[in-house]
Amino acid sequence: MVDQATTTDAFGVLESRGVSRRSFMKLCAGVAAAAGLSQLAIPRVAEALEKSVIGATSGDLYPVIWIEGASCTGCTESFAQIETPDVATVVLDIISLNYSETLSAAAGYSVEEAKAQTIEAGNYVLIYEGAVLEGWNGNALRVAGETGNEALIHAAASANAVMAVGSCAVNGGWCAAYPNPSKAMGVQQFLKKEGIDTPVINIPGCPVNPEWMMQVLVDVVLLKDPSLVKLNSFNEPADLFDQTIHDNCARRGHFENGEFVYEFGSKEEALGYCLYPLGCRGPQTKAQCPVTLWNNRRSWCVQAGSPCIGCCEANPNDPGDNWVQVNTPFYQRFRDLRVGDFTFQPEPVAWALTGIVALALVCHGFGMKKTGRMDGGAPFEPIRKWDAKHPDQAIGTYADPEKGGPVLSAELTEENTHHAAAPADVVVADYEGEAGGEAR
Amino acid sequence: MTRSIIDPITRIEGHLRVEMEVTDGVVSDAWVSGGCFRGMELVVQNRTPEDAAQIVERICGVCPVSHAHASSIAAEKAYGITISNNARLVRNLIEGAQFLHSHILWFYNLCALDYVNPLNALEADVASTYDLAQQLGTSMDTDFKLLKEKLERFAANGQLSIFSGNWFDCDNGEGYKLPAEANLICTAHYLEALKMQARASEIAALIGGKMPHVMTLIPGGTAFVPTEGKLDDLWAMACEIYDWVSTTMIQDTLALAPFYPDALKFGKGCGRYIAWGVFEGPGWPYGGDYTEQMINRYLPMGVLDEDLNVSNVQESLITEYMGHSWYEGDATYESPYFVTDPEFSEYNVEDRYTWVKCPAYDGKPMEAGGFARILAAYKRGVPFIVENVDKMLVALGAKPGELSALQSTLGRTATRQIETLYIAGLMKEWTLELMEAIKGGDSEYFRDPVTTTGEGTGFWEAPRGALYHSEKVTNRNIDGYQIIIPSTWNLAPLNAEGVHGPMEQALIGNPVEDIDMPINALRTVHSFDPCTACAVHITEPKTGKTFKTVTSPWGVK
Amino acid sequence: MIFVVTHWINLVCMLLLILTGFIIHYPFIAGIMGICRGVHLFCGFVLFLNMVFRVVASFIVKTSPTGGTRKQTTDIKSWLPQKDNRHQALEWIKYYLFLRKDHPLGAKLGVPQKLSYLMIPVLIFLMFWTGLCLWGETMNVPAFAATTTLVGGAMSMRIIHYYGMFVFIIFMFIHIYLANVESIAPTKLMFFHKEHGGLVYDPDIHNIVGEDFDPESCVETRAKRGPIDDSHHVTRTAS
Repeated sequence: MVDQATTTDAFGVLESRGVSRRSFMKLCAGVAAAAGLSQLAIPRVAEALEKSVIGATSGDLYPVIWIEGASCTGCTESFAQIETPDVATVVLDIISLNYSETLSAAAGYSVEEAKAQTIEAGNYVLIYEGAVLEGWNGNALRVAGETGNEALIHAAASANAVMAVGSCAVNGGWCAAYPNPSKAMGVQQFLKKEGIDTPVINIPGCPVNPEWMMQVLVDVVLLKDPSLVKLNSFNEPADLFDQTIHDNCARRGHFENGEFVYEFGSKEEALGYCLYPLGCRGPQTKAQCPVTLWNNRRSWCVQAGSPCIGCCEANPNDPGDNWVQVNTPFYQRFRDLRVGDFTFQPEPVAWALTGIVALALVCHGFGMKKTGRMDGGAPFEPIRKWDAKHPDQAIGTYADPEKGGPVLSAELTEENTHHAAAPADVVVADYEGEAGGEAR
Repeated sequence: MTRSIIDPITRIEGHLRVEMEVTDGVVSDAWVSGGCFRGMELVVQNRTPEDAAQIVERICGVCPVSHAHASSIAAEKAYGITISNNARLVRNLIEGAQFLHSHILWFYNLCALDYVNPLNALEADVASTYDLAQQLGTSMDTDFKLLKEKLERFAANGQLSIFSGNWFDCDNGEGYKLPAEANLICTAHYLEALKMQARASEIAALIGGKMPHVMTLIPGGTAFVPTEGKLDDLWAMACEIYDWVSTTMIQDTLALAPFYPDALKFGKGCGRYIAWGVFEGPGWPYGGDYTEQMINRYLPMGVLDEDLNVSNVQESLITEYMGHSWYEGDATYESPYFVTDPEFSEYNVEDRYTWVKCPAYDGKPMEAGGFARILAAYKRGVPFIVENVDKMLVALGAKPGELSALQSTLGRTATRQIETLYIAGLMKEWTLELMEAIKGGDSEYFRDPVTTTGEGTGFWEAPRGALYHSEKVTNRNIDGYQIIIPSTWNLAPLNAEGVHGPMEQALIGNPVEDIDMPINALRTVHSFDPCTACAVHITEPKTGKTFKTVTSPWGVK
Repeated sequence: MIFVVTHWINLVCMLLLILTGFIIHYPFIAGIMGICRGVHLFCGFVLFLNMVFRVVASFIVKTSPTGGTRKQTTDIKSWLPQKDNRHQALEWIKYYLFLRKDHPLGAKLGVPQKLSYLMIPVLIFLMFWTGLCLWGETMNVPAFAATTTLVGGAMSMRIIHYYGMFVFIIFMFIHIYLANVESIAPTKLMFFHKEHGGLVYDPDIHNIVGEDFDPESCVETRAKRGPIDDSHHVTRTAS
């Protein structure tokens, strides 16, 4: 009934990606060398590890520190739901999870010591979950007698890489939504501010999809082959976050067919129609949810009948563009726009504006009719207003420098029209009268 | 006179610090500090109740369903909606799936490492392990021989992974008392539990899209519409979990208990309990009578005093005090609107020392949680609970009905397995009921609001206990939102009269042999299954206070 | 003549873009989604290329700067505000708001007209750019991805693109209205290149110097319309 928790191991995962055990071992050796432990540092580390609480001086498992910042533990929870490979395999066969507030057997001082030793030994990866809070000088989050930010700085500074998992870690997530009471931001932005240049890999989602995390763990952390993971401009794995949910959605066919769910829990939902009218954010959210699915590939939001609410939307450089702010109200097709304390939906405003213009034009038309301008417009001014006031800087040349009036000239007319000026009896238009001059 | 501090407490949700005064090997005073403030209530301000349900569930990754559920109930009360019977069943199923997930994870993967030493399992004799398992009547789905080999490989590698810095040798090597064979069995179940909690989450994902943070539980009912294929999967998974839970969890609990008899003697706590009730009952609806609705829940509502007399909840008796927490002022505020502005000063157990506020019912601290629910259900006479609690009492050497025997760290830990089994059974029942309803032609899952202005309160339960969401809605816009979370009750600091919160009271009297590794205190803390991320919260009341005006139409920058 | 063609292309593309844009925005009609997306993309590219051609051509092709005039200059000169447009913006607005009775003196395009026509290429470029930010094939090109980030994500980008369409719609309303409210002669000219007579405005002395007399039709015109000829409205005459 229950899978045997014994048979899988990390090497199976690696072999499935074309890495033999032998080449993996070589890679690991290379990683250790690349991690740059200088000859001088080695004895000190070795000494530290002798009295270690984290284990032996060497081993096959890749050390990982998992820090929960201002998190809901949802990403750890999500990680605990991973099935391929299962979480036990990950923490016993692939990584040495030396610090995790949710999974560590140790507590208090002991677990902090395990973290300190891992940091000192170096060559580890930091996984950070939850937002970074700057409120009250970082005291919005306190762990082990210090602020959460101090813990992050310390652990990130000597890490090989930082994996920011979940939208909160990427840019503050919902914590950063208006009014952002705890001054939340993402790891990348915070570390940049603090001058720490450890590379950050962002994996948004609320929570993070464990399969995405695992993909990055295997590619980047274990194989340490940067060519395997291409990061986009947000430092997200490009193959996970460069396509929209809409483009991979199983319900896309219904979208193309114009078959939609207009009400929650309806017959159309049972038929699996498209959830776009209910505000689905699939068209503008980039993630692989419809491909990876969630929870042992059982389902995902849209498959269960909920429109996507865009939880993977996270600009690591701007906490203001967190997914909650960008996507609420979730069940409207557009986000709200905000001016001061006033929020509004963009669609009705666009229509209202257009309507107002149309109405104004109709009114204007009546005005035109009433002033008799419809039949050719009003007569010209005899002199530009500005010219009348500033005769010394006049733009035009007038029949009368003060009163203005057209410079009637058969010569100029001919020059301009390329044919003879009209015969005198034809030129009947009352230019002067029309232009406000003396009537002839 | 010595201080013993555990910071951070691991294997919980969120950030928690426990500071204890130890006198003659016993905790004489204790302070519990929640370490993280995020300000959920401020964020849902001026959004729709539908959005709020989705956002507030992100307060906690372990019990998101409960938050979405309580928020939806509050919205439905404000909107004047009574959900359909099918929606009730679907919502019970998703809530139940989360309870199973949470309880399995909590008992095996968070709690058990206080009692079980997986590294000691290396010493186990495989043949004796099978004999012991047979004797205990617990499940043997794992090949113990292969598991032992796996552990040997793990040990040979030398890195300790999640066992780094463990307390397995605490109390001079006497802290962990299980024999190696029992450790091997429990380690097998630790690993199986990781699978089973994921399977339970899979049910939540089937209905809710993903877990944590399910998507289909919305004010008005559910966006999920079961189809035949999905119902089949639901039934299969419900059966699989029931089979495992019924053959494993209570058996393991009873296997552990004899080795830790002391844990039945400490950790009582305040001895008063609240449960708001969870899983809407049969005979739905109840004509708008909220009290009736709560009493008829599968795990009913009940407020229990020192003598375990049960009474009905009165919302107006809920108050909050913040004189020892990092908020402005030290007033006591009444439900449903609490006036609070966060303001960090410094960590000082003599003054303010936590982000958690201090809620009270009728002026007194109250314990919430699975134990409170079990006691309320026992007192309300839920047959399954009465029967199984009595059985457990007998197994632990007490008399049927002698509930005070369970008021301890181990009692609190053990009774939860009864609840797990009860819910695992109900999951099957609800699935069948839903199938019958659909066969009978019932296809309503969602209802629209009757009004868009109003007030509503969601009394509900998270796996960790009594959960309260209250909101005031004007034209589909939230004017005021208030949450009181079970762990806020349990982790409460000193109140205005200087009375300790429930967990602080439970810690006082715990024996501490090793002040660096106070394992008994850790057992007590874990028995509450604390969840601090949720516990810390504030509200923006109708004070006329406005936040910084943002002029960018794209919002906060 | 060439600008009659580009104007036609603009008209057809914009109408199709707006129509398909609405269908893409409200995708509730069955079965035409794919066609609409294709047409929208095609017209988007055509409109953009047409705009580029139109702008380049304005530096090469010569047109008359004023009504009733055969003197020609490069088109860009009549497109960009010239000396005689100085200090006229406010006067034009006053005229449209009925705050003054007479018509501001000037060549064929008034100040608001010139400004709004100058905005059109910018707007087409913006729509083209934001469209490419939204199109799956190009959304991850660094420049487009950076633009999307700049505005706060794809949702905001969609709103901007959507609002851009309304700017076009509003422009078209006003454009069509003003071009026709006083006479439909400009429309005939723009669509069918049907020239008409009118007052002669000399671009050098910046004043009216006479009337463009069409000897063949003048008698008839006179008889029909009497002394006030609609063609004196110089804003409406073109090459």
